[in-house]
Amino acid sequence: MRTTWREHAYHAVLWLVALVFFAPIAWIILSSFKTADQILATPPVLLFRPTLDNYVQLFARESFLHQLFNSLFLSISAVLIAVAVSFLAAFSFSRFKPAGTDFLMFLLLSIRMLPGSAAILPVYLMYVGFGWKDTYAGMILFYAMFSIPFSVWILKGFIDGVSPRFDETGRVNGASWLRIITRTILPQVMPGVIAALIFNFIFVWNEFLFNYIIGGLQTSNVPVALTTGLYSSGGVDWTFISALTSVYLVPPVLVVYFFQRYLLVGMTFGTVRGEV
Amino acid sequence: MPGELAAPGLHARRPAGGGIARFLGRRTVLPGLLLIPVLAFFIVWNTIPTLWLLGLSFYRFSLTSGRAPIYAGLLNFQNILNDSGVWLDLSRTLLFVISGVGIQTVLGMLLGLLFWNSQRLPGRRVALTMLFAPMVLTPVASGTFWRLIYDPTFGVLNSILRGIGLPGTNFLGDSSTAFAAVLVVDIWMWTPFMVLMTLAALASVPKAELEAAEIDQLTWWQRLRLVLLFHGKYILMLGILLRTIDSFKTMDLIYNMTFGGPGTTTQLVAITLYRRAFEAFNMGWSSALAVILLLISIAFTATFIFVLHWRDKAEA
Repeated sequence: MRTTWREHAYHAVLWLVALVFFAPIAWIILSSFKTADQILATPPVLLFRPTLDNYVQLFARESFLHQLFNSLFLSISAVLIAVAVSFLAAFSFSRFKPAGTDFLMFLLLSIRMLPGSAAILPVYLMYVGFGWKDTYAGMILFYAMFSIPFSVWILKGFIDGVSPRFDETGRVNGASWLRIITRTILPQVMPGVIAALIFNFIFVWNEFLFNYIIGGLQTSNVPVALTTGLYSSGGVDWTFISALTSVYLVPPVLVVYFFQRYLLVGMTFGTVRGEV
Repeated sequence: MPGELAAPGLHARRPAGGGIARFLGRRTVLPGLLLIPVLAFFIVWNTIPTLWLLGLSFYRFSLTSGRAPIYAGLLNFQNILNDSGVWLDLSRTLLFVISGVGIQTVLGMLLGLLFWNSQRLPGRRVALTMLFAPMVLTPVASGTFWRLIYDPTFGVLNSILRGIGLPGTNFLGDSSTAFAAVLVVDIWMWTPFMVLMTLAALASVPKAELEAAEIDQLTWWQRLRLVLLFHGKYILMLGILLRTIDSFKTMDLIYNMTFGGPGTTTQLVAITLYRRAFEAFNMGWSSALAVILLLISIAFTATFIFVLHWRDKAEA
């Protein structure tokens, strides 16, 4: 019996750790069901009549629906474009190893290692110069560019793991390269494709700085809405912030729940594999 | 589809000796063709802007003055290197990276070891989702909400402090506590990442060696050093490097929380650049600073790839 008791204690400790890390997020969600006075009450109230007013008001804002649409539209289209072109490039890097592969892979990665304000500065000047600021195409293509390094690195790792015998068999049997790439390689690297899709999605979904600088009224996403809508007439608008954050965290948290297996490969550019 | 299967004669045309390398080695436009889209993206959105940046860093140019850029040679770089404010921001960033990543690594490794045998934890998936959630929450949103948690009058943290008889503190508003307060949020957000990396590192240890360590009755310290760290060190190093690079870039988290304040006590170098570029619109100076940060990032990337190759060699 002693072992089971110890196991229970061990499990209780693990749950406690998880709850400690989740506590601030739980506090946000809890606050989103409070009135403005309850959010600022001292001492903080734990028991209260939950209200859905904050959500009703949030979704009544036309600007919010527009920004939510932007968040979805920008992240989904940028990520799809990025993964599609990255898959082709990763295949080329993996199979043909054209001259300069290592150097290009290095350059690609270094884009992602640069602080955001340094990365966006020249793009901002270019966009102002060309009049691309606050256009959907401008935003989507920039986000796609920023998602490419990650996708190429993840996908190259996965394609490296598929034996070239498959290509060879396909060639011998007269299949075109396009057919080999889409019918033979793609199905085998689906986990890599999923990892690249969801981690770039989370990145673009949460991205604030680039959107704030090269976006505008038309293309602003929810993180920008949160920053610009921070203050209402009576100080910081906490009901708006808590409701908005609670809505906005749903997709990333669902991703972590459903795609836990891909978390590791996704967060390490595909350089570390393994189950969690 | 049978129609697309090879005619027998095709095998005869296969190059002698066979092997994928052989027939892929034939000069073909395909490798280049497949790269065109990525290269196009890379050239338009990276190479051209970077060259633009590089060029501008040699000019005196402000967007607010309305004057055309004036060639200034290395003046911007000289100004930056002589600017004690920039050095202060850089050293503050260094302190932020070292203390943040250091604490995250130690705490992450301890929690990772704790979660090592959690396979039978009831609701494990939910528990891990809760643990990993801080990493995927929008940084501007968590930064904003931590402001409420830290608030001197309405914040839950100060209520707890007052409840146990301690004096309340204006964590983010007081220049002596603001840096530590921001650091705590960064640690909360990113310790789960080091837990994840530690779990991956532990999973890379061969079972047989763990059993051997058990039989040889190694002490826990010997086990950690000789077995766990011996096999897991590459993954941990990659984790520490990724965290270092990311921490060096910290911007969104601080943006709504303190925006570098009070004074400049939480102003990391990414914020410095933001202020000079997008508030003061001093583009020449900012470009020069961005070039310096670019060089630092390239050094980080090179180190990361060096560790990757090192691991590949060790595992080969």
